[in-house]
Amino acid sequence: MPFEPDHVLLGKFVDAHERGDLAAASDHWERLAVNNFDRVKNTVKGFRFSPGGPGIPQDEHGSAASEAFLRVMAMSAGFRKRETGRFYAALATCVENACRDFGRKELRHQKRSAGSVDQRFEADGETGPFDAALAAYDADLRRQTEEALEAEAARQNAESLVAWGIAQITNDNYREVLELTYLKKLSGEVIADRLGVSLENVYQRRRRGILELERILREHRS
Amino acid sequence: MSTDRDRILSEFVDAWSAGARPDVDEYVARVGEDERAELSAELAAFLRFAPTPEYSDEALDAIRADPIVAEALAASSGRAGLLPSLLTRLRERLGMSNADVAGELVRTLDLPQDRAPKAASYLAQLERGQLEPSRISGRVFEVLAKVLGVPRSELEGAGDVGGWAAPGAPAAAFRASDEAADAAAPHLDLLARGLATPGESARDEVDDLFLGGR
Repeated sequence: MPFEPDHVLLGKFVDAHERGDLAAASDHWERLAVNNFDRVKNTVKGFRFSPGGPGIPQDEHGSAASEAFLRVMAMSAGFRKRETGRFYAALATCVENACRDFGRKELRHQKRSAGSVDQRFEADGETGPFDAALAAYDADLRRQTEEALEAEAARQNAESLVAWGIAQITNDNYREVLELTYLKKLSGEVIADRLGVSLENVYQRRRRGILELERILREHRS
Repeated sequence: MSTDRDRILSEFVDAWSAGARPDVDEYVARVGEDERAELSAELAAFLRFAPTPEYSDEALDAIRADPIVAEALAASSGRAGLLPSLLTRLRERLGMSNADVAGELVRTLDLPQDRAPKAASYLAQLERGQLEPSRISGRVFEVLAKVLGVPRSELEGAGDVGGWAAPGAPAAAFRASDEAADAAAPHLDLLARGLATPGESARDEVDDLFLGGR
């Protein structure tokens, strides 16, 4: 089956759900999960329990990735958004939760005690690290939609969470490199050529920009 | 001045965007021990919102052939869906037996402890894919979520993926022939007698929890 981009598959998934075609919805979600398997696997490998701290032991990467991937597959039951940025945020939350759970296994006998690690799993109380950014993004979209003409509003709504996050970066140099990296998907060499800067400069701006974007999407408070 | 870490991160970004399927471990191994945690965090930061590359057919085939993906896809296409695989994996990771989980279940739901073996038996059926997830009470999902340390929605979601969750094909409509009533009567009588015969034990709270629906 040939590659289809995530935004196309998400749209088909939601459409299939809306018309009650669960088999088609399941097929589209499965393809989305396959598209994103490397993201899941590499996120597990790069995960750290605390900044600069240890990650999941290398011999458990496979088990953790397997559990995380099953949980991503199970996300289909509750996810109904069409936008890739929201999908990536939900996927990151799901995979990082699965990774954290790996660090909790030795705590199983403490789990039932007061103030236990179960606190994150209150019924109907699921929150993710990107929720604040998503809420602010929603608020921005609503405000802009009210203010803009209909055509302009449609364009704003079409912008992704990632594009929105990049637009929040105040440093022009970082923002420019991130736009070319995330939105245009250009290589470092092409970016250096296009901007007339050295490759080393692109490397530096990219790293700082990626961390700034991460901070904005993770820590943004409305 | 950029550092080796900047360059390695950027090389990963380029390889990712080109659909070359870079591996985090390989890139992290290129820097010294003292920089590995930071580079891991930077790679993870990129991966969270990185655009999915346009994979070739060969790359997609390779992903589907990965044992992790193959196992999950096989589970999701099965009648029992993802719940048996996920439950078993979570329970085993925590080093718990079905009896342990059942003990927690009856304790949390204030049921007599002597119901635990029956609950364990139902949990075993569930893990074998022999129990329809939609028949399981939300209270069971709630306790399992707490005991296994995952959001309830993920467990219920896993139960909603699979053959049991998909609606069955509509029954074929047909006009009964004149002989249909005579042919069906003995079977209906047998069914009626079976339903009227008292079982060896009465249905209890545990049966309701696992068979009564959400």
